[in-house]
Amino acid sequence: MRRAALLAGAGLLLLTGCYRVQKPAQAQPGAAGQAVARGDGKTLRVFIWSEYIDPDLVKAFEKEYGVRVVLDTFESNEAMLAKLQGGGAQYDLAVPSNYVVQTMVRAGLLQPLDKSQIPNLKNIAPGFLNADYDPGNVYSVPYQYAATGLAYNRARYVPRDTWAEIFGPDDRRSFVLLDDPREVIGAALKYLGFSANTTRVEELRAARDLLRRVVAKKGFQGFDGGPGTRNKLLARTVDLGQIYVGDLLIATEEDENVQVLLPRQGTTISMDTLVVLKRSPNPALAHRFIDFILDAENGAQLSNYTYYATPNAAARPYLDDFLKDIPALNPPAAWLTDSRLDFIGELPGGRPQRLYDRIWTELKSR
Amino acid sequence: MIRRTHPALSAWAWLVYAFLYLPIVVLVVFSFNDSRFGATWAGFTTKWYGVLFARADVREALAHTLEIALLSTLVSTVLGTLVGLGLWRYTLRFRTALTGLLVLPIVVPDVVMGVSLLMFYSFVRQGLERAGWTFDNGFWTVLLAHVTFQISYVALTVRSRLAGYGPELEEAARDLGASGWESFRRVILPLAMPGVLAGALLAFTLSLDDFVVTYFTSGSGFSTLPVLIYTNVKRGVTPDINALSALLVLVTVVAIVAANALLRPRRDA
Repeated sequence: MRRAALLAGAGLLLLTGCYRVQKPAQAQPGAAGQAVARGDGKTLRVFIWSEYIDPDLVKAFEKEYGVRVVLDTFESNEAMLAKLQGGGAQYDLAVPSNYVVQTMVRAGLLQPLDKSQIPNLKNIAPGFLNADYDPGNVYSVPYQYAATGLAYNRARYVPRDTWAEIFGPDDRRSFVLLDDPREVIGAALKYLGFSANTTRVEELRAARDLLRRVVAKKGFQGFDGGPGTRNKLLARTVDLGQIYVGDLLIATEEDENVQVLLPRQGTTISMDTLVVLKRSPNPALAHRFIDFILDAENGAQLSNYTYYATPNAAARPYLDDFLKDIPALNPPAAWLTDSRLDFIGELPGGRPQRLYDRIWTELKSR
Repeated sequence: MIRRTHPALSAWAWLVYAFLYLPIVVLVVFSFNDSRFGATWAGFTTKWYGVLFARADVREALAHTLEIALLSTLVSTVLGTLVGLGLWRYTLRFRTALTGLLVLPIVVPDVVMGVSLLMFYSFVRQGLERAGWTFDNGFWTVLLAHVTFQISYVALTVRSRLAGYGPELEEAARDLGASGWESFRRVILPLAMPGVLAGALLAFTLSLDDFVVTYFTSGSGFSTLPVLIYTNVKRGVTPDINALSALLVLVTVVAIVAANALLRPRRDA
């Protein structure tokens, strides 16, 4: 009796198990190791940062093409990479930051884009195409970007537009630095007049010596991510904070005294990109989505929601006035060409990477 | 002889409790804050709870979290109890090795566990694909992953609960005419019960909380509350997530109080 019940239970488990393991409609044997494309053409799976797309935009895409969009979120490029490399999930699109694109290409995670399916690529401002992280935009198109700026609350203190407000000898201001090695070391390098991606030992040494002094200042309030710094500025407990422009602008809804500027020495910039994954079950739909995002009005709607900057030149006229008026969100195009804005690039492994790591470890463990 | 606690000591204890629980209190308070950011108090509101319940992704993640937690607790409690009993009852040749294997999921970092499970699943998938079958990571892979780490906790609590008793208990029951099944059901199981329940409770809360293993073993379109909350960190936690956390705290407190009430009368003198 009991044995029968046990068997029935086991059988039930097996059955329900099989329910989720379905035979594909058209089983292609495929070469060994080759991914079996098995999309239904009706579901698009996107791996993206949280709060990084307007839900209404997603709904509009679903309606226009009669499909379903599944959004999954990740909290860091590294976590996203780990999950994709493990081969756990079948995503069509991902939104990595520029400096991981080449890593993904080398890991064989991406497929080259079919540009004939992305006519709206022409909308992207030329300065954002053909960047070092993906020459010829073979694998990626720009999604949204953020320069790193200096944020402040003008009810408390108005800084000059220079990194000297933080890195200079003056020690009266309280400030927060971003909790990110490349941003902090990059800002120091820009202040010293070097590239934020330098691999020269003497330049990195100069940045290290500078940062050693900076974190020893009385006003140094620690390293923080964007949200923490934003809250401190709203509460007026610090004078200045290094922050991604987008993370700050969202706080202006709460307090219009909260502002951000780009230091005149130049700064770092990071671009999030749209890529199609090699194992994408629905590559055609993925391309359609990319083209949809690159549309002028849709691109503007994206930025109107996230407060991040758009690389889409055609979208500019449709931006909310509030966003159009902020210089930090729309750095002059010349800044991109005169190397005042540096994309945070991938470091060659070995010595440069170790130097950056060592500087950061020292700063954090001071 | 009852000695009164030194006032400094009890003051210290209160400070420790405040340190542990004040952040949770702050979180609950700020879920009623009429400001988008947690920094300043902008008046009382319950609107975030409304926002929260209007979110389909939250409702879906909540359903997933509870499904996984309940089902995985059930499975791991049964299996873990059997393992715990077996370790107590029998002298096995590889007992030390087996115990070590049980402790492993507890001491191994979550990331290692998550990534190794992820790789295991994709290995299995490749094999299945060659046979023309496919599956997506999702409900079942997460369930299996949770059961994997929960079994250890249940087995170890059951085993330590029984550690003080010898095999003579069962022999005595047999002498008095009980069959193997009866001695298990009427003697061993009741003795082990507090351990079983404690293990189950532990397994349940572990499943509710787990982010890392779930993140790596879930596929696209399947997320649980911890995954949803944690991936929100990048751009700042919105107040509706505060509201959600406040509700989770409430549920956890109720569960623990209930479990205590359940456990107390069963505790043998």
